[in-house]
Amino acid sequence: MSAILELADVTRIHGSGATEVRALRAVHFHAHAGELVAVMGPSGSGKSTLLTLAGGLDQPTHGAVRVEGVDLASLGYKGRARMRRTSIGYVFQDFNLIPALTAAENVALPRELDGARAGVARRAALQALEEVGIGELADRFPDEMSGGQQQRVAIARAVVGERRLILADEPTGALDTDTGEEILRLLRARCDAGAAGVLVTHEARHAAWADRVVFLRDGVVVDESGTDPAESLLESDAAR
Amino acid sequence: MRGWRPLLRLAWRDARRARGRSILVLVMIALPVMAVTAADVVIATQDVTSAESLDRRLGSADALVSVDPYSSNVIQSFDPDDGMGSSAGAQEGNGHTFADVRRVLGFDTRSLELRDGEIRVTTDMGVASAMATEVDATDPMTTGMFRLSAGHYPKSDDEAVVNQALADRGFSVGDRLEVVDGHTLTVVGIAESGSFRNPAYVLARPGALGLTDETGRPRWLVETGPVSWDEVRELNKLGATVLSRSVIENPPPKSELPPEITTATTDDAWLAIVVLVVSMALLEVVLLAGPAFAVSARRQSRTIALMAATGATPEQARRLVLAGGIVLGGIAAVAGVAIGIVVGWLAAPLVQGLSDSRFGPFDVPWLHLLGIAAFGLASAVLAAVVPASIASRQDVVAVLAGRRGDRRPSLRSPILGLALLGAGIAASVYGANQTSMGEVFIAGSAVVAVLGMLLLVPVAIVGLARISRRLPLPLRFAVRDAARHRTRTVPAVAAVAATVAGVVALGIAVTSDAAEAEATYTEQLPTGMAQVTGFYSNSGRIKPGQWDRYAAVVAGELPEHRVVRVSGVPEDETVIGFKVPGAPTLLTIHASALGSSVLVDDELPAGLGIQEADRTRAGRALARGDAVVLADQSVAADQVTVLVERFSDDGASTSSKHERLPAVFVQPEGQVAMAQAVLPPAVAERIGLEVATVSLLIDGPVTESAETDLQEALAAVSPDASLYVERGYRAEDATVIVQLVLAVLGGVLMLGGTLTATFLALSDARPDLATLAAVGAAPRSRRLVGAAYALVVGLVGAVLGAAVGFIPGIAITYPLTSNAWTGSGPEGMPSHYLDVPWLLILGLVVGLPLLTATVVGLSARSRLPTIARID
Amino acid sequence: MSVRQALLALLEQGPMYGYQLRAEFERRTGSTWPLNVGQVYTTLARLERDGLVEGTGTDDEGHVIYRVTEAGEDEVAAWFTTPVSRSHPPRDELAIKLALAVTVPGVDVGAVIQGQRTATMAALQDYTRLKRTGRAALPGAATDPADLAWSLVLDSLVFAAEAEIRWLDHCEARLRRVAATRDDVRRPGEAPAAENATDKAARR
Repeated sequence: MSAILELADVTRIHGSGATEVRALRAVHFHAHAGELVAVMGPSGSGKSTLLTLAGGLDQPTHGAVRVEGVDLASLGYKGRARMRRTSIGYVFQDFNLIPALTAAENVALPRELDGARAGVARRAALQALEEVGIGELADRFPDEMSGGQQQRVAIARAVVGERRLILADEPTGALDTDTGEEILRLLRARCDAGAAGVLVTHEARHAAWADRVVFLRDGVVVDESGTDPAESLLESDAAR
Repeated sequence: MRGWRPLLRLAWRDARRARGRSILVLVMIALPVMAVTAADVVIATQDVTSAESLDRRLGSADALVSVDPYSSNVIQSFDPDDGMGSSAGAQEGNGHTFADVRRVLGFDTRSLELRDGEIRVTTDMGVASAMATEVDATDPMTTGMFRLSAGHYPKSDDEAVVNQALADRGFSVGDRLEVVDGHTLTVVGIAESGSFRNPAYVLARPGALGLTDETGRPRWLVETGPVSWDEVRELNKLGATVLSRSVIENPPPKSELPPEITTATTDDAWLAIVVLVVSMALLEVVLLAGPAFAVSARRQSRTIALMAATGATPEQARRLVLAGGIVLGGIAAVAGVAIGIVVGWLAAPLVQGLSDSRFGPFDVPWLHLLGIAAFGLASAVLAAVVPASIASRQDVVAVLAGRRGDRRPSLRSPILGLALLGAGIAASVYGANQTSMGEVFIAGSAVVAVLGMLLLVPVAIVGLARISRRLPLPLRFAVRDAARHRTRTVPAVAAVAATVAGVVALGIAVTSDAAEAEATYTEQLPTGMAQVTGFYSNSGRIKPGQWDRYAAVVAGELPEHRVVRVSGVPEDETVIGFKVPGAPTLLTIHASALGSSVLVDDELPAGLGIQEADRTRAGRALARGDAVVLADQSVAADQVTVLVERFSDDGASTSSKHERLPAVFVQPEGQVAMAQAVLPPAVAERIGLEVATVSLLIDGPVTESAETDLQEALAAVSPDASLYVERGYRAEDATVIVQLVLAVLGGVLMLGGTLTATFLALSDARPDLATLAAVGAAPRSRRLVGAAYALVVGLVGAVLGAAVGFIPGIAITYPLTSNAWTGSGPEGMPSHYLDVPWLLILGLVVGLPLLTATVVGLSARSRLPTIARID
Repeated sequence: MSVRQALLALLEQGPMYGYQLRAEFERRTGSTWPLNVGQVYTTLARLERDGLVEGTGTDDEGHVIYRVTEAGEDEVAAWFTTPVSRSHPPRDELAIKLALAVTVPGVDVGAVIQGQRTATMAALQDYTRLKRTGRAALPGAATDPADLAWSLVLDSLVFAAEAEIRWLDHCEARLRRVAATRDDVRRPGEAPAAENATDKAARR
């Protein structure tokens, strides 16, 4: 079993000349199935860049980003969009739900965009909402929900359709401690069920929910705590 | 004003920051302001005021005096052209002459006689009429009245100058100019009248053209120093009319005017139409600019909430948004007027080139322009009113917490909307049953109905959002987004709807009018046949030999066609009527399609529309020597009374007689009889009627190119000959052009409204589109969403507008096409005509929104924005 | 010291013998502060000496049962209502270690901090794992007061570890800033020579 997300020797440089910013420098990073990896670091350390690269919203200046073994650079713009519909789920700090759509429609969005029939997409959405515990709010609009409920919808949207890589960017930033913990519990449960998760946060308390915590500073991985899951160790041993 | 200053500053900053949106608003408002300004400047320039016209009417003289010997007391306005009259003229004349005028003005008065009139001159083609002036144009007093462009003014009585319009007919300097029934002069120059460029014009010395008191009354230019209003009044008593430079330049107070002269009052109907047009234009501009202000207001909602949190009143919040309207409206108004003046200045010479009369000096009507600028400013402020009032009522806490703070819309406005719509329908129905002013009433009701519909637009959009669940994603997104951002969507939809309503209403009116014209069209000849008429010319009857020349021309152009000379009774000096004692009027209306209403022939002339059944009967009657008389109804009689009345040149009846003739009565084919009767030649001769050729009938078919050729050939022989080819009903060019203009104007306004709203919506939906990208939407999603939005705005607006447009559209066909005026017209005519231009409406309601959506779908950027967060 | 008051508070709920007390303490605090039986009995002896508890005889197996006295109840009430004093910060080995590391030359303070942070993070992950897999994560955990107590104690440890990590982050940031200023201070010293060079270049 190989890594679901792998960043190999990734460098990302924004701008050029005097305004050049090296957001990431030769970063190696991976996340396996069933594993939740937290990325910590001070502001400007490159955490969010790492996440946008992992989601194919941005391209590395150097190095490769592979999701489920596929190099995102080889996919092109449309291919990466399809990847986000089928393999990668995003959870944002400010939820980023579309206010004009109901909870169920927001969750069904990736499936519908992928061409699923409306009924099929809606059933999948209702199930995902049920899983995050707010099945009864399916027909509410984002405006009519609390922050925690909105974030649950966002998580449901990120996991609907059996997606195996969940990228969460400060998902608890806008929530109180208790609600935030509920969200992390959901993420954790999703990973325990076999998905790979990457959680960007600056709060150690939240990072502690991860199996591994990666510290970034100035675009470089400076520290790592926790261990790879046993299986992956076995596998890499076997590979050697 | 103090309280406004920070708000105006904020608004100015905001306008500069949101440059695209500001430019959009500026263009929306500045364009109409500019167009109206330019038109106003051109109109003001073209309009010649009394003061401006002095030089061209007076030259350098102090006054222009004319004496009417038959009136005793003239009442005139300051400028006699603005109003004058004379009371109780003495039959024998009052005997006043210019000598009496001289007595009033002083004996040192220098005068120059001037006589205007109309003459006929012989041209290469025949005879042309021309305006004429007899005056000594070399006298310095005439300076400014004429503009000499070649040669010199007449120095002797056998010299004349002509204007370019006459010169174009084959006169040049040195040619001879022959006045019909008069002298022959030599053209010594080309000069233009100061007032007009067309028609043809001849200027010569007094007496040289033979103008008489009948063809042109004498007038005098006088040089005597300023002629006061009192002197003018005194001269009026002598029967003289005076145009005084001094009075025009420094008019006395209006109270000095004689009470009989009333200053022209504005026509009520005209005023109502102006008010309607202005209010519709204002509404349209407000609606088009509305979405931009709605977006600004929402972008500013946080600023407004923060202001409220720091103690600003709702009134101040409202003013912040209004200030945006004032800033943008002010700039647009000033820029629009400034550019409009320049455009008008550039356009005036071009328009002059199309006009026959001479324009005045370049004129900027500042007072009007002030009003036009106020219109621009008002439209911007009005466009900002609704967003401003919504912004002032927003929930501050919700906005600061990052939620939307819109209050729920009240139920009042849709109910008011329904009431207005109802009132509009009622007023339309009322207007449809009015005999006078009905059109104005219906137009007014249309505005009311459109306003009512405007208040119902939100209901329609929210309703659509409710049922949008089953729609495909881009459409569902667009509908819901439209419903959420009502302040932005409603004016856009309403702009489209108002446009469509107007176009549909006018379209129905124009098409129905055309339908009436088609239904009531009467063929003058059997389709395909052609006819040459031209019995009378400016100089009276043409010479009998002329018909030979016409026939020769026709034979030359159309050798294959049979040409028949139609004989009839010339009706210039004779009026003939037919009557059956005891029977109703035989014909309510009749034409003289074949050149005369009484034809003379021993067989039925071709081209006289008579019902098939009657034809053989009529032919037999003529052969027998009986008259054939046309009648609307069948007449049970075998004799008819002919009334023949003769008139002399001056219109006095000289003789009249009755004759009883054996006759058969036939019914015309169409609604209008082409003639009254056909008499056998023997009968005509017996009752002493003059018989002559009245037209040539040419067998069809005559192609259009043959028609053009023949037309030109005939024109070369005589300008009096006119050719007519019957081709059945053809839509007037005007109808087609009006429909085309309506379609184009409607299309442009619809596109404008839809595109504005769509691109505002797309820029507004940036975060949502970024989210779509993050969850994996394909790049084309942005295009699809844009297209869907355009479709929603266009379709909802068009459907609503078309529905509302039908009300005044159908109503207006009643007064427009009713046959009420014809009184008891022939049986079977409908009370009015209604023809709906379905193609236009379908194109507008379905075609244009789809087209707009396609345009948006193809032109919108397909790149989705990405979520940018600086960590 | 809190063990004394904690035992008193437990006894207030009913008489218990020493082993019972220890079990109850550990159940409520989630075994985060292991308590040996000897410590329990010494504490009980001291409490009895101070007249806050008293023995009420033995049970069938010969365990001495203790119960709280009236004075003891007062003491418990006073303990719950008095805030924990922060006037004498507990001796913090980590703070002392860092303070020395900064002042003693030749020590890589960055490495000390990073090492410590990794360790604290690991501990934090352990606490969190306990939290999500242990008793508190089971259904009904929210309603049982004892489970709630345990979970709150865990939270206390989580927040303490988090605070430590944040403090370490802060130390690291401060040290980096100081290092950066030192570099800046050094640079002006070198500047004159460079300035002369450019002046010369300009004159030429």
